Amino acid sequence: MARVGMHPSGTDVCRKVALLLVLALVPALVTAWLHPKRPALGWARPAVTELALADALGLAPPVIWVDARPDDEYGAGHVPGAVSLNEDRWDALLPKFLEAWQPGMRVVVYCNSQRCDASREVAVRLRHELQIDNVFVLQGGWNAWLEAQKK
Amino acid sequence: MNWVARGLRLLAGGIFLVAGGLKVVDPAHFAADIDHFRLLPYFAVGPLALYLPWLEIICGLAVLAGPARRSALVVLFALTLIFIVAIASAWMRGLDIRCGCFGAASTAPLAYDLVFDLVLCVVLAWLLRVDGRPGSPPSHNV
Repeated sequence: MARVGMHPSGTDVCRKVALLLVLALVPALVTAWLHPKRPALGWARPAVTELALADALGLAPPVIWVDARPDDEYGAGHVPGAVSLNEDRWDALLPKFLEAWQPGMRVVVYCNSQRCDASREVAVRLRHELQIDNVFVLQGGWNAWLEAQKK
Repeated sequence: MNWVARGLRLLAGGIFLVAGGLKVVDPAHFAADIDHFRLLPYFAVGPLALYLPWLEIICGLAVLAGPARRSALVVLFALTLIFIVAIASAWMRGLDIRCGCFGAASTAPLAYDLVFDLVLCVVLAWLLRVDGRPGSPPSHNV
């Protein structure tokens, strides 16, 4: 223990650092066990099928487009007919998606560009949590769509 | 100087308490945020998302409450350095992601988070300094 009136020694500090690190394990384990929104644990990242824009546009109907970007970006412009569904407001937006979605539909999810992961996350959740097959991620996302419009 | 140190302890401890609390609400969301950095193997992402928010909460509480304050400051300083490296690396790679530092409330561009963490790092370093070196007499109440 630290002496009264003195700062803790280096050994005390190290011991308490170890104690804090171990202490955090306890609620973390409880969270892993009981939390309704606990993360999926696994060795490999869930696979999703990516489609180039031309292939996505060539999918046999019915197709529903899902915009996984934040609300303000969706509001500023989106693929015509696309439904907004992002992770930030998943619970609030999901009912609207389910209204628009029909069994058998192909789902194309996009975010901004090749360097965003939001579409991948939304696609994985649709596939795993809602058991929807035929979910695809658009390569290049919204930027690829805009580029194609310029041509 | 004493009231400045108290104020900054309150601020730093409070920041980590809030940051951890916001992430604990939705660990799956935080796991996705960590994964977006593409710095860790996938198997490490879930466990880290479960552990890190609680470490922030416990260390934030320790900074506020007093017991093990210096040790908690050491942990939080190290964490902040790691966050800075992670955010800077994502920024330099041009990743279109958000920090996730405050759970779903994180909407600012990465550059803002980088500046925020750099300032926080300086505050934590200063608090470690005013808390004195191990074994030296304290300059104020701990």
